[in-house]
Amino acid sequence: MSTLNFGYGINRPRAIDLDNNDLRKSNAIIAEMPELQACIGCGSCTASCTAGAITNFNFRKLHTAVRRGEYRGVYEELSKCMLCGKCRLVCPRGINTRGLVMLIKRKLGDF
Amino acid sequence: MTFFAPFTIPFIVGTIFLFVAVATKWILWIARLPKVDRRLIAHNFFSLGTLAAIWEVVRESLLHAKIFRRNPLLGFMHMSLAFGWFLLIVVGWIETIVYLGFEMIPLQGHVFFKYFMPLNGIEAHIPLFEQLMDALLLLVLTGVALAWFKRIASKAMGMRRATKHVLFDRIALSALWFIFPARLVAESLTAALYGGNGFLTGTLGGFIGELLPTEVLTTLYEPAWWFYSSALGLFFVAMPFSRYMHIFTEIPLIFLRRWRLRPTLERKSYDNFEVEACSRCGICIDPCQLQEDLGIHDTQSVYFLRDRRYNMLSLKVANNCLMCGRCEAVCPVGINLTTLRINSRAKRRNIPHEGRYRYLTSLDRSSGEGKVGYFAGCMSSLTPAVQHSMERIFEAVGEAVWYADKDGGVCCGRPLMLSGETDAARKMVAYNTDLFRRHEITTLVTSCPICLRSFRENYHLDGIEVLHHSQYLDRLIAEGRLSVKQGEESYSYHDPCELGRGSEVYDEPRRVIEAVGELREPRHSRRDALCCGSSLANTVIGDEQQLRIARRMTRELEETAADAIVTACPLCHKAIARSTHHTVVDIAEVVARNIAE
Ligand code: SF4
Ligand code: SF4
Ligand code: SF4
Ligand code: SF4
Repeated sequence: MSTLNFGYGINRPRAIDLDNNDLRKSNAIIAEMPELQACIGCGSCTASCTAGAITNFNFRKLHTAVRRGEYRGVYEELSKCMLCGKCRLVCPRGINTRGLVMLIKRKLGDF
Repeated sequence: MTFFAPFTIPFIVGTIFLFVAVATKWILWIARLPKVDRRLIAHNFFSLGTLAAIWEVVRESLLHAKIFRRNPLLGFMHMSLAFGWFLLIVVGWIETIVYLGFEMIPLQGHVFFKYFMPLNGIEAHIPLFEQLMDALLLLVLTGVALAWFKRIASKAMGMRRATKHVLFDRIALSALWFIFPARLVAESLTAALYGGNGFLTGTLGGFIGELLPTEVLTTLYEPAWWFYSSALGLFFVAMPFSRYMHIFTEIPLIFLRRWRLRPTLERKSYDNFEVEACSRCGICIDPCQLQEDLGIHDTQSVYFLRDRRYNMLSLKVANNCLMCGRCEAVCPVGINLTTLRINSRAKRRNIPHEGRYRYLTSLDRSSGEGKVGYFAGCMSSLTPAVQHSMERIFEAVGEAVWYADKDGGVCCGRPLMLSGETDAARKMVAYNTDLFRRHEITTLVTSCPICLRSFRENYHLDGIEVLHHSQYLDRLIAEGRLSVKQGEESYSYHDPCELGRGSEVYDEPRRVIEAVGELREPRHSRRDALCCGSSLANTVIGDEQQLRIARRMTRELEETAADAIVTACPLCHKAIARSTHHTVVDIAEVVARNIAE
């Protein structure tokens, strides 16, 4: 059966399980970069993203997931980032997003 | 003849220690050089480079010509200490030969010759040498006095801030300060007891001789020489672990550099020569805007090199640098500070990740066709006016252009490199190189100085000429392909770090501006230009701090009272635009607006 292409899909149903998510790494990241709490989730970083323009890489989704303590696959996905720095220029909250990419990778990866 | 006295023991021990320590370092560093570097040495050993190196050693390590040019008093201080001491050794050597002929005299015999003269019954003094040695001692003492003076009033010597030193440096420094006054006292006492000596020690000796009874003089005599010898010995022992190791490192560094050895994006043994050649003179502190605008005092090149040398480099210090190159531009030793900073970062997080950037395979978003390729750069997509202006100009001159990244491209790789992820960056380099080759371009124009620098330094693009758009525009105007109107407007030009100091492009943008209007220079320009603060190299400072740097730098541009501020980098453009109410434009926009119909 062919479906109409509306240009968007339907997300899998999901729930944020703050009781079971392990927030230790998330807290450590926020402790090093408190300004992340100022994120308003506007998505400008994703919209301007160089890697996002050629893949389905979504930076806002990733750092939001990390803050919630959902780390699975984030490290691998985040290594798609080219560190080009466009996101930092557009972020209305002035978040040091490049530093954040490196920080998350450092905390989640083993280096 | 006897050339031994117990007081010489500290000196002898210190000298042997120094010799062994320095030799060990040199041998280890050279033995660990990678093969390419060793081959370069073998290849260039018998070349004009070697002669040039000898001359450079005299000029820089002894006379300190570069520091002289910066500030004469500071230069004189360095020169009198280095060259004065050197001459004291050489002339002292000749002196003993003249007195005693070519005999095997142990080292302490030369150094403490004034002590051994009466001991060996030499009574006939040669006035020429006496006076000469005194004059040299006076020269060095002046240097020491200036060094004291610099501690309390560095401003008078052209330095607003002097280096904060570590313990070893303090020990060595204190010993160094005592060496020459101690020598003065010891030699004057000798003159008081045994006569002779020149205008300085002789006169002082005569004075002391009249003041003090002979018994006091004889009691003070041995301790004075002991003190002098101990100061020397202590200095020599502290030397290899302190900043003074630079004396024995700068000389081989000069040779290696002339033999074309360079630091690379990965650490290697050659780096040791650069790191330890830093004299911690602190000249790099003043130009650093992190210090001046943000009050950050632990990250300047002098501290970065120090921390790296003693293996206590923190991630924060390594990362907290704009890589603006302002320090590198003034470093009298010519250390490649930016490259060293990059490879310090590389060591920390260069973890290759298989499958990383797999999405690059068979990606091609380019459009158009032509021998000229245009690579706007990631940042330029945030300043669309630059791209549109370039398109209008290409159209006006009828250039057939292949657009590499009009519809989203791949980063040039330099941001990754600046963060130390050199392996990852190489994937971008390979991707873009392949893309350029596949589309058979012969000229590559980019609007981003960051891309420009990486294309020039990290890509191998033989057969493709890489130009910044300001250079391309300059050429179009010079060749008469593009005619522009000379207008009334005045422009104040900001040199982007990566374009100016980084790629040595200073004149082309200025010529372009002068072709369409009046050029005005801010207080700091060209090699001296300030950084906009938004540099990708710094991932430590926050938004508000970036803004503070940008504001001060923008103020200088505003002070020229020009109609508009012009820059040639999308990143600088963004940084300036948010710190001023004046008009900010890119050089391409200025030209596009003034195309003659
Ligand atoms: S730095 Fe990374 S996340 Fe930010 S815009 Fe560039 S590719 Fe996207
Ligand atoms: S642009 Fe800044 S505020 Fe907006 S989602 Fe990204 S990080 Fe958050
Ligand atoms: S890096 Fe250069 S300018 Fe800075 S302290 Fe060392 S030698 Fe002096
Ligand atoms: S490169 Fe610039 S920011 Fe970095 S230490 Fe040198 S002057 Fe300071």
